[in-house]
Amino acid sequence: MIKHIFILAGICLLSFNGLAQDATQTLNDLIAKMNSVKDYSVDAVITSDIPMVKILPTKATIYFKQKDKFKIDAKGIAILPKQGFTDISKLLAQKDSYTAVIMGNETISNVKTDIVSVFPVSDTSDLVLAKLWIDPLQDMVMKSQITTRSSGTVTILYTYGSQAKWGLPDKLVFTVDVKKFKIPKGVATDINKTSTKDQTKAVAKTGEIRIDLSNYKVNLGIKDEIFKK
Amino acid sequence: MLLKSTYNEFIKIAAKPRSYLGLGAITILVGVILFALKADGMSFIEFVTSSFEQTLSFEGNILNGNLVAFIILQMLVIHIPLLVALVTGDLVSGEAAMGTIRMLATKPISRTSLLLSKFIAGGAYTLLIVVWLGIMAVVVGKFLFGSGDLMVLNSDGLVILQEADINWRYFGGFTVAFLAMLTVSSLSICLSCFSDNSIGPIVTTMAIIILFIIIGTLDVSIFDNVRPFLFTTHMAAWRSFFEDPLPVADIRNSIVILLIHNLVFVFISLYKFNRKDITS
Repeated sequence: MIKHIFILAGICLLSFNGLAQDATQTLNDLIAKMNSVKDYSVDAVITSDIPMVKILPTKATIYFKQKDKFKIDAKGIAILPKQGFTDISKLLAQKDSYTAVIMGNETISNVKTDIVSVFPVSDTSDLVLAKLWIDPLQDMVMKSQITTRSSGTVTILYTYGSQAKWGLPDKLVFTVDVKKFKIPKGVATDINKTSTKDQTKAVAKTGEIRIDLSNYKVNLGIKDEIFKK
Repeated sequence: MLLKSTYNEFIKIAAKPRSYLGLGAITILVGVILFALKADGMSFIEFVTSSFEQTLSFEGNILNGNLVAFIILQMLVIHIPLLVALVTGDLVSGEAAMGTIRMLATKPISRTSLLLSKFIAGGAYTLLIVVWLGIMAVVVGKFLFGSGDLMVLNSDGLVILQEADINWRYFGGFTVAFLAMLTVSSLSICLSCFSDNSIGPIVTTMAIIILFIIIGTLDVSIFDNVRPFLFTTHMAAWRSFFEDPLPVADIRNSIVILLIHNLVFVFISLYKFNRKDITS
């Protein structure tokens, strides 16, 4: 009986080790594809649908340069999620800081993906868990879900088009937690409001930010000064 | 005759040193606010947006001339009535105190026209104060901070208005703000008809405004039926121009109530002034 338990435990250990190795390989392929992009600039249209925030779509230009230079040059005021743009590449760049395991498979937009969970090694890390839905054939992230202590959970859906060979999406849809929003009292006092707000009206707990990306310029070189402005 | 009398009233207002106190006070107050925002404006913005910035980040020039002008208006519109009442509260009672009203009443002009000319002159002075506030807030603010989208925080959340969609809102906002200040001017001239000294109407005007603002902000149900009819409730109606969608019905309601107040104050003043026994 004890012999059988040892054999079973051994099989479990080997299969977990195998899953971890598969996850590392999948992530390494993904990182290699990400690193093939040295820099890029792209035009963006940012559309926000966030409870308690009214804003029209805003045009912006996004600049990125390896290793972690990132800048958004908005024509007006643009609202973006606090995290999600460069977090994945930053996280994956530090291979010693996380452990990854394949948790299963899921089909997203007719693409079969591996679900890779990334756990930080440090107990004090802001990151709690990152889940990546990776297309193992094209080495592209189809969906990600990042949970941090400071910002809650951000889910990002990626849609690829003309720049799929670089792993750069044409559209990003962020879903962010908004339940913590509070308007400071006093600052927003409307003394001319004579009607009281309907307290029973439910406020959505998540908001959505859609970014449509076009006119990519990949690996054409970007001056460092752009990121200093 | 009304025009000539109005012109005379302008000259009297221009000749009084206290008339320049309002313009000077606005210049200094706005100057201090602009300096403070230029020095450390972002910490003020962060205080307002801190709740949102746990999850979201704001990109672009948030602290721009449009936001600065909005902050200035929000801070000062409540305090401007004092500067208006300081001059308009003195228009009738000041003459009574100095004894010149008796001579004025002997001129070949009806008392109604005489008083209306004071209302017109008071209104023009109020317009000057509001226009000067607009120049200091919007023009100087944009000169120092540049232009950009306007981020407005109200009790329903954040509204971000695009730069091209703002100027007409300021025009509308200042127009309603002028109407609100005109109501203060009318109230103080009305009180001025009941007094023979300068200080009384000015202090009484401010006391009424403070009382009404307290009633308006006290969240007590007993005042719920009164609050919509107080002119002080509609003194901040200019803010409605910065909402999206524009609350047209609310703005129209505020304009109507302010106009009714103005008419009531004018009629009470005419009634009192025409029956006033001028003995001074």
